[in-house]
Amino acid sequence: MSGVRVMVVDDHPMWREGVARDLTEAGHTVVATSGEGRQAVRVAAAARPDVVVLDLQLPDISGVEVIRGLRAVLPEVRVLMLSASGEQQGVLDAVKAGATGYLMKSAAPAEFLDAVRRTAAGEPVFTPGLAGLVLGEYRRLAVAGEGGARPGRDDAAPRLTERETEVLRLVAKGLSYRQIAERLGLSHRTVQNHVQNTLGKLQLHNRVELTRYAIERGLDD
Amino acid sequence: MSSPPAGLEGPLWRSIAVFRFASLGYVCLLVLRDADRYAHPLAAGAVLLGMLAWSGVTAAGYARPANRRWPLLLADLGVVLVVLAVSPWVVGRAALAAGVPTLAVVWLAGPVLAWAVSGGRRRGAVAALALGAADLASRGRIGPSSLTGVILLLLAGVIVGHVARLAVTAEERLHRAVQLEAATRERERLARGIHDSVLQVLALVQRRGAHLDGEAGELARLAGEQEAALRALISGVDPVPAADAAGGTLDLRALLGRYASAAVSVSAPATPVPLPARVARELAAATGAALDNVRRHADGRAWVLVEDEGKTVTVSVRDAGPGIGEGRLAEAARQGRLGMSQSIRGRIADLGGEVRIVSAPGEGTEVELVVPREDG
Repeated sequence: MSGVRVMVVDDHPMWREGVARDLTEAGHTVVATSGEGRQAVRVAAAARPDVVVLDLQLPDISGVEVIRGLRAVLPEVRVLMLSASGEQQGVLDAVKAGATGYLMKSAAPAEFLDAVRRTAAGEPVFTPGLAGLVLGEYRRLAVAGEGGARPGRDDAAPRLTERETEVLRLVAKGLSYRQIAERLGLSHRTVQNHVQNTLGKLQLHNRVELTRYAIERGLDD
Repeated sequence: MSSPPAGLEGPLWRSIAVFRFASLGYVCLLVLRDADRYAHPLAAGAVLLGMLAWSGVTAAGYARPANRRWPLLLADLGVVLVVLAVSPWVVGRAALAAGVPTLAVVWLAGPVLAWAVSGGRRRGAVAALALGAADLASRGRIGPSSLTGVILLLLAGVIVGHVARLAVTAEERLHRAVQLEAATRERERLARGIHDSVLQVLALVQRRGAHLDGEAGELARLAGEQEAALRALISGVDPVPAADAAGGTLDLRALLGRYASAAVSVSAPATPVPLPARVARELAAATGAALDNVRRHADGRAWVLVEDEGKTVTVSVRDAGPGIGEGRLAEAARQGRLGMSQSIRGRIADLGGEVRIVSAPGEGTEVELVVPREDG
């Protein structure tokens, strides 16, 4: 497989250079780097990266806004988030906005390069922490949905299947996809699909919610 | 006594000064009305001038916090006592007996208010009793109206003293709250700074040195550990959470977050997991005991997962150790190898919960602590 076109967005120059060097040495192409969110969105439209490696804490706009902006100009772009502090709500919001991967900055270079490759291939990259956040979010939505339940509507709270819950719990407990596949007697690919579905449903729900919000506010005309 | 910055107390002293001048105006009206019945009307004018001068002295004196002490307070009381003492001679015994008021009238409340504001209700009461007694003595005849005056004076001293203390206490609390807020802001500012610089560099050092052997690799590993520790410190959750005053509940995430390190991953929902403070502490202690086990019997690498299922809360602790076969679990427990009989099982049983252990050779050991939520 040929190299991935990567864009690095991080406000810390040392970090940006270090990551870019690792990526280049591994045979990928760093098509752009940026230290600010707005600039990143503008540059991405021209540089057309496959994967954006995004630090969630940027000086100008939030990670969620960057992801929305990126997906507006490049709908196919994949976003791998990096963060130095385990900023929980921020990570969850970014995932709901469309990021498909998350890694702590303390991850080893090999782990990082693997995450970039997998993100480019469309695989979700989960840390145990992110799995815990996603599990918690489904529970929160289920509880919130019990209040003003509108069954049958497409904005009803999304739910995990039993298998998906099982897989997510194992991810949160630090098992690799391979270990999970072995334990549950599934194929590696199936485990991946389950994880992907948990993200997909959350992102879809988020889009539906945003649309509904926009309609209620009369912003869609 | 430490004097807080003049904030709430200042206006109280100013209002006493205003009261003195206003009451002096009232005294002047009474003197003008009754002057023809006085034994020495000219002396009354002189006393009035003295009272006016003293009102000015106290207004200027009490305006400065350094002067609100015994010398001025005692002089204040003394001046009013002198006014009361000369009243019988100026007004005349006969006129006083006929119901003509003394020269002080309500002006004598000035020192009472000053004493009350400076020292609280006890001091106010003392001044009120002293001046009340002098007032009664100067009249020579004790009637119901003069007694009422003394009681009103006493009430004024006590109530103003009480309110003044409340104001000072409130001000001190406000002062502390402001300091606390400043400290919190400073911490947040530091956290942002640490995040933007130190964390990034530590992560970078760890990253660039992770694959090196020997000392460089060791340095990278140490940088990584410090990065994790710092991150836990500034991650927003209070490192030493206090029980929520409202219902005595604690966010379990905050307690367990302290176990997070380079070797221990703690996964939790993004929203708080509230539990009664006692339950949260016991559950966190049991989790800590399980992590101690991991350090003793496995390589120390562990994953903690917090799940809030509404009616129950589950904390799972998994390690990547050798694991134990089904049949050997009981044996291990007998040998005390699980070490959890008391510190874990006992704690969880006390909370009405249960402990589940899943293990298989080569797959590590998983301890699940499930506790019910009592609130209904």
